[in-house]
Amino acid sequence: MRAAAAAVTDVAVRSKDPSLTAALASATCVLLGTTTSAPVDAREEPTWDVSTSLLYYGEDGDRVRDLSFKSLSRRLYSDDRVLTLGLTIDSLTGATPNGAIRQDGVQTFTRPSGADAYTVTTGALPLDDTFKDTRLSLSANWQQPAGEKGLVNVGASASKEYDYLHTGLNAKYAHDFNQRNTTVSAGIAYAYDTIDPVGGAPLPLTPMLDVGDVSNRLGDKHKDILDVIVGVSQVVNRNLVVQANYSFSRQDGYLNNPYKVLSRVDGVTGETLPRAPGPNGGPSGQFLFENRPDQRTLHGIYTQAKLNLGGRVLDASYRYMTDDWEIDSHTLDMRLRWPVGPSSYLEPHVRFYTQTEAEFYRVSLDDSQSLPSFASSDYRLGNFDAVTAGLKFGWKTRNDNAMAVRVEWYTQSGTIPAAQIIGNQAARDNYPDLDALIVQVSYRFGL
Amino acid sequence: MTQPEREITLRRTATGWGARFPAMASPCEVLLETDDREVAQGAATAVAAEAWRIEDKFSRYLDGNAVHRINSAGGEPVVVDDETARLLDFAETLYGLSDRRFDITSGVLRKAWRFDGGDRIPDREAVEALLERIGWHRVTWQSPRLVMPAGMEIDLGGIGKEYAVDRCIEVLGRSTDVPALVNLGGDLGVTGPPRRRDAWRVGVEGHAATSADRRIDLKQGALATSGDARRFLLHDGIRYGHILDPTTGWPVANAPRSVTVAADTCTQAGMLSTLAMLQGHEAEAFLERQGIKAWCRR
Repeated sequence: MRAAAAAVTDVAVRSKDPSLTAALASATCVLLGTTTSAPVDAREEPTWDVSTSLLYYGEDGDRVRDLSFKSLSRRLYSDDRVLTLGLTIDSLTGATPNGAIRQDGVQTFTRPSGADAYTVTTGALPLDDTFKDTRLSLSANWQQPAGEKGLVNVGASASKEYDYLHTGLNAKYAHDFNQRNTTVSAGIAYAYDTIDPVGGAPLPLTPMLDVGDVSNRLGDKHKDILDVIVGVSQVVNRNLVVQANYSFSRQDGYLNNPYKVLSRVDGVTGETLPRAPGPNGGPSGQFLFENRPDQRTLHGIYTQAKLNLGGRVLDASYRYMTDDWEIDSHTLDMRLRWPVGPSSYLEPHVRFYTQTEAEFYRVSLDDSQSLPSFASSDYRLGNFDAVTAGLKFGWKTRNDNAMAVRVEWYTQSGTIPAAQIIGNQAARDNYPDLDALIVQVSYRFGL
Repeated sequence: MTQPEREITLRRTATGWGARFPAMASPCEVLLETDDREVAQGAATAVAAEAWRIEDKFSRYLDGNAVHRINSAGGEPVVVDDETARLLDFAETLYGLSDRRFDITSGVLRKAWRFDGGDRIPDREAVEALLERIGWHRVTWQSPRLVMPAGMEIDLGGIGKEYAVDRCIEVLGRSTDVPALVNLGGDLGVTGPPRRRDAWRVGVEGHAATSADRRIDLKQGALATSGDARRFLLHDGIRYGHILDPTTGWPVANAPRSVTVAADTCTQAGMLSTLAMLQGHEAEAFLERQGIKAWCRR
């Protein structure tokens, strides 16, 4: 809700009509039976409102672990002008599926750097444990009223990790109608990202090569993203605020994951086609680097309602997304803020998510068929459902700062389309469930 | 009206002790810059006692008090005590200064208007009928003797809380030299600058989640706020604020959502913020003419 970001006038101290104040002052002296009072000394201080949080995200089975520190500092100036500065530092470690399928027998893979190889034990899901990165993100936003009913927001962001550089600009305008009970907004954001994969971006749908062989590696790649959003929010009554928006996103450029491969398999048995590793080591099977279309267009509809139920606030939202990769998703999110005592609250949270697989999602590449133009076995492009459930406890500290602890569980289970499962693959779970634990501690204070 | 439990709860704060108690249908607080629990307890008890005394004496909900005696006199003369007389004198002065728009007899309009966020607005006739029973000029006030036509009522709610803050500050000043802040439901005053920090930090709430709170550093004086984002009526998409103009019986058009004023005393701050609200869309211009420190939210 932005209705509140109304024009606040900080009236200057300049007396042009002192007669009323003088009359009031003398009437007050008579009322209180005092002769004089010490003159008022009050001033508004520009303040920093700082929100910080430390988040742990850990997938089970030695997969991804992320430790993330985030801070968002808002400085309020007069006339409702607000500067917001954001800083995030992420430290990612662990192993992530490289896209190949399970096999009976040990599998070896060349690392993305091309400098050496790693081994996956028999029957195990191939995970690349090279995954390790630190990301630094910075953002700055400036908000100010535009006219009596408008609010403008402009911002810039950048983030850097070892193989990735993001730069972005955004702008938003919101306008109030109907006694500020209705707010209509429109925003646009543009991002230009550079991907400089470890070892160079592989030529799509070419095989993973032996250690030391970089003949199918290219240099860095780019993509740009344009986002447009239009929305409306409405105060229905003192207990209900609803909002809805439509978003459009267009991604152009290099959209592949340079580290993901697909196993090339026998059309009858479903077993990975073997390959003899070179003298310095290399892949034990035929693994082709993935390829995705170089354009993606997404449309989204988001609706949200905030309902005050006698001091308990229910925040429910639903999002529908669809794109031309044929991924359709639905998200239902609900949280209920339940006051406990005068200065603390409990907030249960539950989120349901489901998506269909991308049109080019393949668990493996069937050797008896011609090679498709696009293929990826990235589990995030597959058909899966996920549930997040958690609880947050928040309280006011002795000096009125806000503290909160949130614990959540995330569980995801995916399904490979039956038509894609070939021969022996039926006996191996190539889309294992994913469980993760999320713990967040946050602290908000004023300076 | 049921009274909340009259209890004082003490808690340790970053710079001393804080005491909370309910009074005048609002949460109230005293902040004391002392580590001595006994001193804090004593001062807080004195403040709460004074706030409760004023509430008991001037609440229009209680039988047998000064206001009840006036409202139930049925047109007969009433002789009032000295404190009540001073409040009535003050109200009369404000009636003149505000061009009849600050009127302690306007409380009967509440019978027609209910500001609960709902959408019911009263009939014009009902409001017209009530206007017959409003107007300080219909009252004969010759201190200490008051004659008010039957059917009229006075309500000191528009002065009471701010007056109580100033009285509590006075009571504190006589009993201790510990720097203190008295907050009665958002209207507040200080005995003087604190010693352990450079100013009393007062947060002024924004009226929605995304609106950042503002911080006012107060060393001397008082703050009072008129207007409340939560008290309004919504009818046919028009928002009616809860500030009523007694000359028309209808809410003031285009009034700010809230006005916060800083002044030497809480009484002055409260009256200036109320007068500003009554100016409607000219509230800011009015405040600027007075040359006072004020924050106006639209």
